[in-house]
Amino acid sequence: MIHFSLQKKLHAAKGFLTLDVSCEIREGDFISLYGPSGAGKTSLLRMLAGLMQPDSGFIKMNDEIWFDSEKKIKVNPQQRLVGFVFQDYALFPNMNVEENISYASAKNDSKKNIELLEITGLSGLRDKKIQTLSGGQQQRVALARAIARKPKLLLLDEPLSAIDNEMRAQLQNTLLTIHSQYNVTSIIVSHNINEIIKLTSKTIHIKNGRLVEYQSPAKIFCNKSEDSSALKCIFLFSEKTGNDYHISVLTGNQVITVNCNEEEAKDLRNGDEIEVSFKGAKVFLRKL
Amino acid sequence: MHKIFSLVAILLFIFPSVSNGQSQKVTVAVAANMQYAFKDLKNEFEKINNIQVDEVVGASGNLTRQITQGAPFDVFISADTKYPENLFQNHFAVEAPKVYTRGVLVLWTTKPGLIPVANLQFLLSGKIKRIAIANPKIAPYGTAAQAVLQKFILLDKIKSKLVYGESISQTSQFIASQNADVGFTAKAIVLSNEMKNKGTWIELNHDDYPPILQAAVLLKYGIQNNSSAAGKFYEFLFSATAKDIYKKYGYLN
Amino acid sequence: MIETAPIWLTLKLAFLTTIILLFVSIPLAWWLSRSKSIFKTIAQVMVSLPLVLPPTVIGFYLLLAFSPANSFGKFLENYFDIRLAFSFGGLLIGSVIYSLPFMVHPVLSGLSSLPASLEEASYSLGKTKRQTLFKVLLPNIKPSLLTGIVLAFAHTIGEFGVVLMIGGNIPGRTNLASIAVYDEVEALNYYNANIYAAILVAISVIILFLLYFSNRKLQEVKIL
Repeated sequence: MIHFSLQKKLHAAKGFLTLDVSCEIREGDFISLYGPSGAGKTSLLRMLAGLMQPDSGFIKMNDEIWFDSEKKIKVNPQQRLVGFVFQDYALFPNMNVEENISYASAKNDSKKNIELLEITGLSGLRDKKIQTLSGGQQQRVALARAIARKPKLLLLDEPLSAIDNEMRAQLQNTLLTIHSQYNVTSIIVSHNINEIIKLTSKTIHIKNGRLVEYQSPAKIFCNKSEDSSALKCIFLFSEKTGNDYHISVLTGNQVITVNCNEEEAKDLRNGDEIEVSFKGAKVFLRKL
Repeated sequence: MHKIFSLVAILLFIFPSVSNGQSQKVTVAVAANMQYAFKDLKNEFEKINNIQVDEVVGASGNLTRQITQGAPFDVFISADTKYPENLFQNHFAVEAPKVYTRGVLVLWTTKPGLIPVANLQFLLSGKIKRIAIANPKIAPYGTAAQAVLQKFILLDKIKSKLVYGESISQTSQFIASQNADVGFTAKAIVLSNEMKNKGTWIELNHDDYPPILQAAVLLKYGIQNNSSAAGKFYEFLFSATAKDIYKKYGYLN
Repeated sequence: MIETAPIWLTLKLAFLTTIILLFVSIPLAWWLSRSKSIFKTIAQVMVSLPLVLPPTVIGFYLLLAFSPANSFGKFLENYFDIRLAFSFGGLLIGSVIYSLPFMVHPVLSGLSSLPASLEEASYSLGKTKRQTLFKVLLPNIKPSLLTGIVLAFAHTIGEFGVVLMIGGNIPGRTNLASIAVYDEVEALNYYNANIYAAILVAISVIILFLLYFSNRKLQEVKIL
């Protein structure tokens, strides 16, 4: 189990931000870190890894104390056995795939490296220079490298934000496989709600440096009432054909057109954020 | 407004300031070892004539090269005869060079507690690590020093201790800064105001080295552009006043 | 015709200076790229000083420092029986100081241009700072290292002012090619001067060719 309480004064765009987060994470859990940009998520991850020094607080990993400001204990990143996947992957350009992955391991761990290559689907690419790889492939190398040492804690800083949707789904599956295979406690920073719900069992929700909620993603992102189908979307335009009045709105990546009351819609402008809800309508589902 | 200002500034740079009156000028290239004696020469000459004397001091070889490349010097006072001869052969001087004085070689040290002895055997001692001489290839005092060492059958034995100055000035500087324990330099230098009370020196036997004949030459540039002032100064170098100054600085006449 | 000793001596000085500078500059540049201390600015000024100062000034101060009349020179003489003026060792010290910025600046520039996440990744994978420097950082700034090596080497070949002040022109020890050219001109032997000069130009051209050619090879590997 990892138990931490960390405080740090951060420089934000509009001055200072005090980060103050305390939390307990069970061993083997897959946790997400969610919140608006600049809330302190990456800083929190870096402090857990030992790449940033907190102003005060402590970090306890099982029986090990990684940081304690009062007892003046500070374990450096090398000794924490943390796997870190950076947003820019941080792969070593002077090495090929296999060399990157085996960078951390001892000389004769080739069996483990082969296993890693297979799990991440990189076996055929082991000799390639990393500059020749696609974004998705580089991401997998970063992942394999991070878990090569069987770390106690796996930290992922928005690892999939630069990947296209199709590859993203594949990589999410890879993450799930790795997590279950190695049972490593993992924390992922993500803005993608779908990803958070798919991968993680609990979410740390941070706003302005403070922990706002810490519970299952379903409870955080789904609305309270059972049959609420309120959609947050962007108003695009309205059309009237005969007696029918309908509006077109953008939800996520998709545009839908719905019938509605002219009175409600007549003052809307393109770009307005609105909520569309369907009460008591019949719902049709179809798997694609 | 800015444009006018810049234009004026440029013009002021390009056109030299108008001098007041008719005062003439003579530019003299002076070999390094003569620079101290030259100050007296300049003062005396300016007292008698209404002519301003500007000097350019350097190694004889350096100055010669500059003259062959068109440097605007009127007269050249060298430390030897080879360089003025060269200029004369190459038509940078109209008359043959004339010897104005003879240089004197001394052995000098500024190291506390060290006393030079005339038989020079002390140069073999382990305490003497560096001996400075002017580069014989380009400085006549260096050639003379080499000749002395040869005469005393010391040259081969102390060759590894020799340090070569590019000019008699640099050689003297090596000695004055104690980077060389002892060295051969011109008497004029140890008699100069700057070096007068520094260290101890002995004069070497004039017969032990070929005479250091120092010649001067009137340059073609001087004759073509400044004949009256240049000619007057050149003649002055051989006057009685000048000879007294040479004597004062230890030169032989 | 001409003695070749000055050429070999010059090459020897340039070679040794470059090696020493590699050992000195890499840790220095690494510290400068990561340090936030107040000494960093002072160090940066000191490293850049030889770029701005005339070589004769450097030579002049070295001559004073080496002189047995002054404390440092006296210390060296009394305790180690060493005189640095007019020695190859003294020239070596002078060269290292004089060419220092030419090695430090490219290496520093290279190290600063690497993303911080690269070394953070290495730390998170259990490698020490030194291991990171040699396994990750330096291999990824090869063009900068090459530039530093070539600049330092070529700059030392062209050294004149410092050598003039503290060399003493001793055959086999301090009579470098740059001084040899000067002396031949002084002695009015223009023919010899031309030969020395031509050889120096040829060496410099070859070195520059090597630099640009190698840089191209390195760039080709880096294509993303």
